[in-house]
Amino acid sequence: MLYVGRRIVQALVSIFGVATIIFFILRLTGDPVLLMVPQNATAEDIAVLRHALGLDQPVGLQYLQFLKQIFTADLGYSYIQNMPVLDIVMERIPYTIDLAISALILTVIIGVPLGMITAIYKGTWIEKICMPFILVGQSMPAFWTGILLIMLFAVQLKWLPSSGAENLQSLILPAMTLASLSIATVARMTRSSMLEQLGQDYVRTARSKGVGIPRMLYRHLLRNASIPIITVIGLECANLLGGSVITETIFAWPGLGQLTIQAIAARDFPLVQAVVVLGAAVYIFINLITDLIYGWIDPRIKLGRETSQ
Amino acid sequence: MKTSWRSVQKTAILIFGLLFIIALAGCSVAKQADSNKPQQQGEASTDSRKLVVDLANEAANLDPGLQYNFDSYAVYRNIFDNLLRRDPATNEFTAGVAEAWKQDSPTEWTFTIRSDIKFHNGDPLTAEDAAFSIQRILDKEFLSPQYANFNMIASAEAEGNELKITTNEPSPTLLAQLVNLSIVPKKYVEEVGNEQFNLNPVGSGAYLFDSWAKGTNITLKANEEYWDGKPEVAAVEFRFVPDRASRVADLLSGKADFVSGVSPDDVESIQSNSNLQIISTPTERIAFLAFNMVDDTPTKSTAVNQAIAHGINYDSIIESLLQGYGERVTQVLTPLSFGYDPSISGFDYDPEKAKELLKEAGYDNGITLDLPTSPSFDQRVVQAIQGDLDKIGIKVNIVSTDHATFLKKVQDPARKWGSLRYGIWSCGCMDADGTLLPLFRTGTIWSSYSNPEFDQAVDAARTTTDEAVRIENYKTALNILQQDVPGIGLYQHFAIYGASNKLQWQPDPQENFFVKDIKWVK
Repeated sequence: MLYVGRRIVQALVSIFGVATIIFFILRLTGDPVLLMVPQNATAEDIAVLRHALGLDQPVGLQYLQFLKQIFTADLGYSYIQNMPVLDIVMERIPYTIDLAISALILTVIIGVPLGMITAIYKGTWIEKICMPFILVGQSMPAFWTGILLIMLFAVQLKWLPSSGAENLQSLILPAMTLASLSIATVARMTRSSMLEQLGQDYVRTARSKGVGIPRMLYRHLLRNASIPIITVIGLECANLLGGSVITETIFAWPGLGQLTIQAIAARDFPLVQAVVVLGAAVYIFINLITDLIYGWIDPRIKLGRETSQ
Repeated sequence: MKTSWRSVQKTAILIFGLLFIIALAGCSVAKQADSNKPQQQGEASTDSRKLVVDLANEAANLDPGLQYNFDSYAVYRNIFDNLLRRDPATNEFTAGVAEAWKQDSPTEWTFTIRSDIKFHNGDPLTAEDAAFSIQRILDKEFLSPQYANFNMIASAEAEGNELKITTNEPSPTLLAQLVNLSIVPKKYVEEVGNEQFNLNPVGSGAYLFDSWAKGTNITLKANEEYWDGKPEVAAVEFRFVPDRASRVADLLSGKADFVSGVSPDDVESIQSNSNLQIISTPTERIAFLAFNMVDDTPTKSTAVNQAIAHGINYDSIIESLLQGYGERVTQVLTPLSFGYDPSISGFDYDPEKAKELLKEAGYDNGITLDLPTSPSFDQRVVQAIQGDLDKIGIKVNIVSTDHATFLKKVQDPARKWGSLRYGIWSCGCMDADGTLLPLFRTGTIWSSYSNPEFDQAVDAARTTTDEAVRIENYKTALNILQQDVPGIGLYQHFAIYGASNKLQWQPDPQENFFVKDIKWVK
């Protein structure tokens, strides 16, 4: 319990830190008012708008105001959309979660078996077929993968829509694009973790006794190899949620990533702050969950940390 | 035995959890699909006569008073009517909501409002609504980003079916701005409030607001009872696709019928498809270079600026980079602007002369100049300028930041932004006032130049409605610019659209997008 409590306090402090950093970084660059007015606006027009948004106040005062907002969960009004920021973000969250979960499912159901197969069949033709996929997935950037998939499946074959978020088909290409890097990462981690286990004495002993690979996999290998795999899946999960910026932009997927880019481009301070703080909270929460799952799978981890204090 | 039971439990929970997540994902996607059911999926649906348009950005806001954003225009101007229009062929002012107008005195105008227009909720459109549409923009509490476009207006009042506008001083650009004024329904806006009005806009235009899936699309349907004739396109879906390559892919795959923001590089792939066409037109946008003559940089010297003006290979930029989608100019105005002076000669590409001018200015050993820019501008043009100037002995140091930082730097009153900058400018008013004044008049936020004679000329031209006096003053102003060289025009910008060849549409130089003007060919 103590361990859980300590981790939660750490998480809260991290979120607070992120909020502070984003607040000051935003104010160091660019001026939202300049982006909001027409090109022929005068200095007076700009001053009026700046005053109305409270941007002419000292930064310290603005920061106190911002902290007050965070604690009252009122994240303010978007400068350009004239809507409460929280409403805007809430509208976009389901899209990002759908995309991240679909990509995560693809990552797990493709990445883990791919890693296991390349480990078990190391040195055979099966490995030689699978490895290039892992290498390609790992080295291609999302914007390139995305455009290639669009060119093939949307423009040439016309099987899937090239952009938008209208139906389930719309989800397939962005999920594939987003998952491609994670699949490679998870496959590589699974492979090396499995190879390590395959070299252990207990495996050789069991195999010499005639235990088959499938039984070995379930009873011993997967369990023993799982900690690093779960770590990397946890990290990827957070990456999938946060790293969807490029994919969402390519596929016009209306999630948080695209919203963030638009908000930053327009210097919509309240919106950027809300997205970044919520994003950080999700990231930190997932890391927290991953840590707690370790403790559950292997109680020695939790005990070890607690006794070492 | 005990441990194996625990492991079974754990596996079961894991599998259960995974299934739960899959179900959750399926549900929420299915829900979205559901809410979009009335829309046609996949193929752009010419059969149902619904037009699918890809825009680069989401409309920020559908309240015409509350935003200033190019992609919002494309959407909301179809929902609302404007007080005046321009004839797309001649660019003359024509009747809109106002069927007639006259100038009563240098500062007083009367507009007669049509009596047969109804808002989409059935309320009649009156002079009250027209006056209200102006008043709310002028209301400082309302914080309209459009304020700067209408701040020449002192008051707007309704008298019967007439709208009376009084300006602070004689304003020659009033009519040009009223072309951009959307009429909103006073009663409805006051009833529902600004926030609801934005989410459910009611106008009197050719199209009715239908739905808005945030971040995805906005759909409109034809106003069957439109006073100016029933539109041919029955419904239109505006999709928001930020990535240019994806917009082109949408067009190629048939997902979209019409795509804005096409680059000259995309023209070939679109034209190679026999189902598609490129639609293009010269616009009133001017691509220009502005020099910093206020801060202590080499561009303070007119000779250096002349050297730069002679050092740029304009034709090569237009032909090789823009694939011909641009037109040479001799001044910082396009021929479409009122006040354009055809007698101004401009500068030829002459690298030898440029080198001589630099030598005369005392820069034999070459100079290094800072050019601040942002990704919003075509970076290839910036690099071409860098390459051309390198040949005459000027090293250009490109400093690229995001657009917000770029604006902050360039508009800082200290004017420490560097030496030269590239820009593309449009006032949306087709008048020299909207370009020369903000770019070069002493003390405006963009100007890094100061010359009292120039100031006097542009001030005189903006405070009279006498066209002959205005033209004379712009002639003076443009000649001063030709001598002092605080900036040079590079080319007239072209708008390029990609479209299905089943539709027919005539673009205009102000880059308006009225769906009502679109016809299906078959």
